[in-house]
Amino acid sequence: SRQGGAVGRPRAGHAGKMENFSALFGGAEPPPAAAAALGFGPAKAPGAGAAPPPAAAAAPPPGEDAARKAAAGPFYLLRELPGTTELTGSTNLITHYNLEHAYNKFCGKKVKEKLSNFLPDLPGMIDLPGSHDNSSLRSLIEKPPICGSSFTPLTGTMLTGFRLHAGPLPEQCRLMHIQPPKKKNKHKHKQSRTQDPVPPETPSDSDHKKKKKKKEEDPERKRKKKEKKKKKNRHSPEHPGVGSSQASSSSSLR
Amino acid sequence: MRGRPEAGWGKTAVMAMAEKFDSLEEHLEKFVENIRQLGIIVSDFQPSSQAGLNQKLNFMVTGLQDIDKCRQQLHDISVPLEVFEYIDQGRNPQLYTKECLERALAKNEQVKGKIDTMKKFKSLLIQELTKVFPEDMAKYKAIRGEDPPP
Repeated sequence: SRQGGAVGRPRAGHAGKMENFSALFGGAEPPPAAAAALGFGPAKAPGAGAAPPPAAAAAPPPGEDAARKAAAGPFYLLRELPGTTELTGSTNLITHYNLEHAYNKFCGKKVKEKLSNFLPDLPGMIDLPGSHDNSSLRSLIEKPPICGSSFTPLTGTMLTGFRLHAGPLPEQCRLMHIQPPKKKNKHKHKQSRTQDPVPPETPSDSDHKKKKKKKEEDPERKRKKKEKKKKKNRHSPEHPGVGSSQASSSSSLR
Repeated sequence: MRGRPEAGWGKTAVMAMAEKFDSLEEHLEKFVENIRQLGIIVSDFQPSSQAGLNQKLNFMVTGLQDIDKCRQQLHDISVPLEVFEYIDQGRNPQLYTKECLERALAKNEQVKGKIDTMKKFKSLLIQELTKVFPEDMAKYKAIRGEDPPP
């Protein structure tokens, strides 16, 4: 518009400046009125307001271009539409892949956070991060252990290496993280277990263990009580028999 | 298999897969129980327990053999590595499944929104262009062979 204004309104005194301006930007061409009003450049195609074609970065082959132009008519930028597919993002993919049951199961109900809720029968402190005791699955994948191709049973000679000294382990080596597996009413048969060492209580298992301990200790308590009663009865002067023999032994010492 | 409907074939395949998983699960549970009992024996070892210890050690080897046999049946199963991150953090792996489903649904909704918006824009644009350039839009529709805008 400046250029148009400069051309349309020559001013006395500014002619020299405009000449320099023209010299900088080349000869000023009088643009068409309509295009100038709109702010567009000169239109090549009459009638429809088709903008001049931009310079394409990747020009198509001339044969294809001509064929496309012939088919498109005045719409020489018209390209073929991409192939249509039945499955798009507008479809409910969960319904399409029959995952409603899975969705309701995992997202409808609250899923518990801890790993022990998923694997209740697995012994050990599994809720701790694997990096604490170097038991992470990631480390197993990144650095797989070097082992043979087959599993061979241990021979008698090999088993001599597993002869252990009798007695309890030192406290440092004790497997304090072993937890007794939580009993659940399942169809799988339960194997017989020996008496477990007393493990430390954890917040998730404290209630269950307390109940178990009470059950285990009740018969033991009863036995202990019975033994204590027997001892008391033996030592009491009222009861004859053992008490009298002890009295006689005590008298003999004197 | 050819004569069965798709739903029936799907159920049979699922049942067969479930059986393979059950077998592996059973072997793993027995193995873990054996190891646990081994730990109990070792924690307070007695000379009379040596025979039992040897038995448990050999059962450990046979247990690993059984688990290795199960591997062949499940060679086509793929486990996403992201699940291992959850397990290593002591978290329930079902949370991974839950988050996958939630993310899939959220993305599905987002893409559906985009598609619906673009469709509306297209129909509005064609509608307005038809008002301004009726002849050219008629040619355009003839070339495209598409449905007229609502």
